[in-house]
This record gives sequence, structure tokens and C-alpha cells, in this order.
Amino acid sequence: MIEVANLSKRFGKTQAVANLSFRVEAGTITGFLGPNGAGKSTTLRSVLGLVHPDAGSTTVLGVPYRELERPLHRVGAVLEASEVHPGRSGRNHLRVLAAAAGIPRSRVEEVLALVELSSGAKRRVKGYSLGMRQRLGLAAALLGDPEVLVLDEPANGLDPAGIRWLRDLLRSLAAEGRTVLVSSHVLAEVAQTADRVVIIHRGSLVQQAAISDVLAGAKGATRVRTPGAERLRELLVAERVTVSEGAGGALLVDVHPERVGELAAANGIVLHELTVDSATLEEVFLELTGGETTE
Amino acid sequence: MTALIRSELLKIRTTRGWYAYLIVVVLLTGLAVAVEIGSTADGERGGLDFQVGLVDTAGFAALLAIILGITIVTTEFRHGTVTPTFLAAPHRERVIAAKAIAGVLVAVLLALLAFAVVAAVALPWLTLVDADLQLGEGEVGKRAAQVLLSAILWAFMGVAIGTLVQSQVAALVGTLIWIFLGETLLIGLFGLLDIDGLASYLPFQALDGADGSSGGDLLSYWPAVGVSLGWVALLGGLGTERTRRRDIT
Repeated sequence: MIEVANLSKRFGKTQAVANLSFRVEAGTITGFLGPNGAGKSTTLRSVLGLVHPDAGSTTVLGVPYRELERPLHRVGAVLEASEVHPGRSGRNHLRVLAAAAGIPRSRVEEVLALVELSSGAKRRVKGYSLGMRQRLGLAAALLGDPEVLVLDEPANGLDPAGIRWLRDLLRSLAAEGRTVLVSSHVLAEVAQTADRVVIIHRGSLVQQAAISDVLAGAKGATRVRTPGAERLRELLVAERVTVSEGAGGALLVDVHPERVGELAAANGIVLHELTVDSATLEEVFLELTGGETTE
Repeated sequence: MTALIRSELLKIRTTRGWYAYLIVVVLLTGLAVAVEIGSTADGERGGLDFQVGLVDTAGFAALLAIILGITIVTTEFRHGTVTPTFLAAPHRERVIAAKAIAGVLVAVLLALLAFAVVAAVALPWLTLVDADLQLGEGEVGKRAAQVLLSAILWAFMGVAIGTLVQSQVAALVGTLIWIFLGETLLIGLFGLLDIDGLASYLPFQALDGADGSSGGDLLSYWPAVGVSLGWVALLGGLGTERTRRRDIT
């Protein structure tokens, strides 16, 4: 669906992407993760034909982006939220793009409603909040009703309600059979929506796996609260699972939540909480990317 | 291609700058034609040369056309809208072609608007002072056609400069400095080197020659049009290649 093969790109002295290869399968949500400056945007822009790679190749739907017929009908992209003329209204921004792609004006109103921006569509983009700009970017990506979506840090600038709205939207888009590639520098942000993750660091691949496998590798990533803590701990230890004490009397367990849930159910143990601990997730992420923070 | 041209025209119409172009062309032309008539003695107002000169005042359309041409390219880089533009149309040379055509269409519109202003000021005024109107003479129509073609050439030149320079401020300021200072200095230099003949081949000397009004050291009309188109092709070709190769980050 999306294929990146041996991609390399250097900007001046900075090797932005170094021999990167990965695949995004059809019908999945793939999280594209890495710290800021890891080369995510350069990779996505190469996939979209905006950046010319020094070496390697990228294809979308089997061909380089530039060879797609009617590209907006095949691939939708949200890159930076600021790429709009500040003096143009949101509606006119979309109309300009729709005109270029031969998309009828009625579709502009549809996508405005879809991203809940209809009421602000008349205003000039200059007065938009970052959240509104992100919505406008999403609306632009959805104009051609594309089967593939590429989103670069779409959660940036969204408030918690906006992030939740975005998550629900991505889920419903994927449920319609679309392929989604969404980048983020926060693992927890995509952990709840993505099926698979591609993790890069300094322009190179660190891991490409199902999200459950990444989480499975996390120490103490599963957090359990239960009145039967003693009994559950015994059962887990008997299965050679490492268990430690978390805050508030919770247990932190090194296996999938699914496994813990099954074990508890089989033994009639009541659970009050069973979650993937996002703080721990970030530690996993930092471990995978060399433990560095770039901010 | 029609879709891209429609998109470019919509881009031009959906920012406030659009109204500034219309207002400025009306005001400048109106002022120029009024000053021209007002400062001419009654007896001379019926002359053919004078009335052809009135048509020349519509030449402000050319100045606005080059500013528009530069702006419609560079604004995309300035505001980053080049990203969605190239996502919708990944063959960048087609986007540039669409911009050139849209720029020319607007240049024609600006020139027609300027003609309308000239007519709206000059016809009643000249009629009022009982001057003979020379509209039947081919010269007036011919000059109008030359002014129209000139506006088209300047719009092309603007798009070519925009694709080559890409920074909005540098392109606009650089072009103005080049027109008013750069070429003057070069003409002086050519004089010192005893190659004055080359001066008329400079881009804006050629464009000057192609507006039909000026004589002097400029090329005659059709050679001037040809040299102007040559400069447009050269700068536009280099600019298109630069745009094609550029990484949009």
C-alpha cells in the first residue's frame, strides 16, 4: 500500500533519513513514531513526492506518488497545519483545492461538516486556532474521499477533546477500510488507535511491528487494580511473569492486558482497572529510541 | 489543465489583494489620463498623437501584471500553500503553466479595465471641449492592442521571475531595483565598454520597446516582442527547472 525502500535523504550536513525501509499494509492504521527530528516528516514528504530522495524509492498504491492519476482521490495528506493562506477563508481554501482536483463544491461542504468546521468556514484562516487549522487540514485530506491517508503529527495543537475527536475519526476512517499512516512523537497517542507501528530514530528503522508486540516488550506496561491482588500475583508469578508494585496498590505486569484479563476471568478474580500504562509506554519508546529526548 | 487554471483564478480572487489590484489600476489610470488631458492645451486635444498617448496611460496594467505574476508564484512559497498545491498537482510544471495562463487572463482583465477607465474619463471630457475624436483612426486601436500585449508579456515575466526567485520580498524588491537601477547602471556600463547596442536587449528595455510607445534607443516593435518572449522563456525555463527540483519541506 505504502512502501518505502532504502530511502536516504540529506539536508546539508544533516542526514535526515538513512536507508529506511518499511511497508504499510492495506486497511491498517500504522503509527509512524520517532522523537522530533527523527526524519518522520522528511519520509512522509518523500512518500508524497514533495521531497526528492538522494537514494531509494517510495511508492503509494504501487506507484510513485507523482504517477498517480487524480492523486487527491487516492491519497489524502495532512502535513503542517500552517500551510494555508491566512487571508483566505477555510471554505475558499478547500474550494481552491477542490477546483484543482476536479472535485465538486458540494463535497467541500460535506468535509467541512465531517470535521465540524462548517460554522467557522466563512472566517479567514488568520483567525483560526491551531485546532481549527488541524481540522481544516483534515478536511482538505478527505476532499477526494481517498483510500490512503497520511497524517503528520495531526494531534499537535489539539486539546484533549480534539485528540479524542481525532482518534474517533481515524478509527471510523479505518473501519471504512482505509489505510492510515499517522506520525507522532508520543507513543501513547497512537497506542490506542494503531494496529502497527514503525519506529524510527535518527532516520533509521528501530522497529516495525504490531503494536501488541511492542507493548508486550514493555516492562510493567500493564497496570492492574484488583481486590484479589495477592491471588493474581501468585497466578502471574506461577506463569513466570514479572510483577511489581505500582502506585495506589496497583500491580504492574510485563504481559499484555489480554493475558491478565484471561487469567483473572479463568480464576474468578474481580478487576477494577486493567490498562496499558502510558507513562511506561513512553519509557519503552525512549528505550527503543536510545533514551534521548530531543526537546 | 482547465481545472488547474480555474483553481489558480480562484486563488487570485479569494484574497483581499485582488481588490487592491482592481482599485490601484483604476486610480492610477484615472489619475494619469486626467493629468494628461488637463495639462494639454485645448487646441491639441483633438490630435491623433495626443489621443494615442491617452491609450498609453492604460499601461499601468502592465506594472500591476508583473506584480501579480510574481505574487501568484511566490505567495505559495511564502505561506507554504505550495504543499497542498503540489499534492493536488504533482507535476509542478503544469502548476506553473496554469499560473502563467491565469496571470495572463488577469492581465488582460486589468488592461481592459484600464481601457474602460481611459474611455470613461477621456470620452466625456473630450466631447465636452469639442475636440475631434480619432477613434476611427486605426492608430488608436493598434496602440490599444499593443498595450494589451504588453500587459500579457509583463504578466509572463512576473511568473517567470517568481518561479526563479521564489522569495516574495526578494522577487518584488529585486525586480523594482532591477528596473529602476540595475538596467540603468548596465546601460551606462555598456556605454563605457562601447557596446551600447546590447542595451536594448536587456529584459526591461525589450519590454519597453514592446509597449509600442517609446522610440529612442529601443528595439523596434516586433523584435522587442521577440526578445521579451526570449527572456520570458529563458527565465521561466530556469525557474521551472528550479521549482521541479526543489524539496518542499
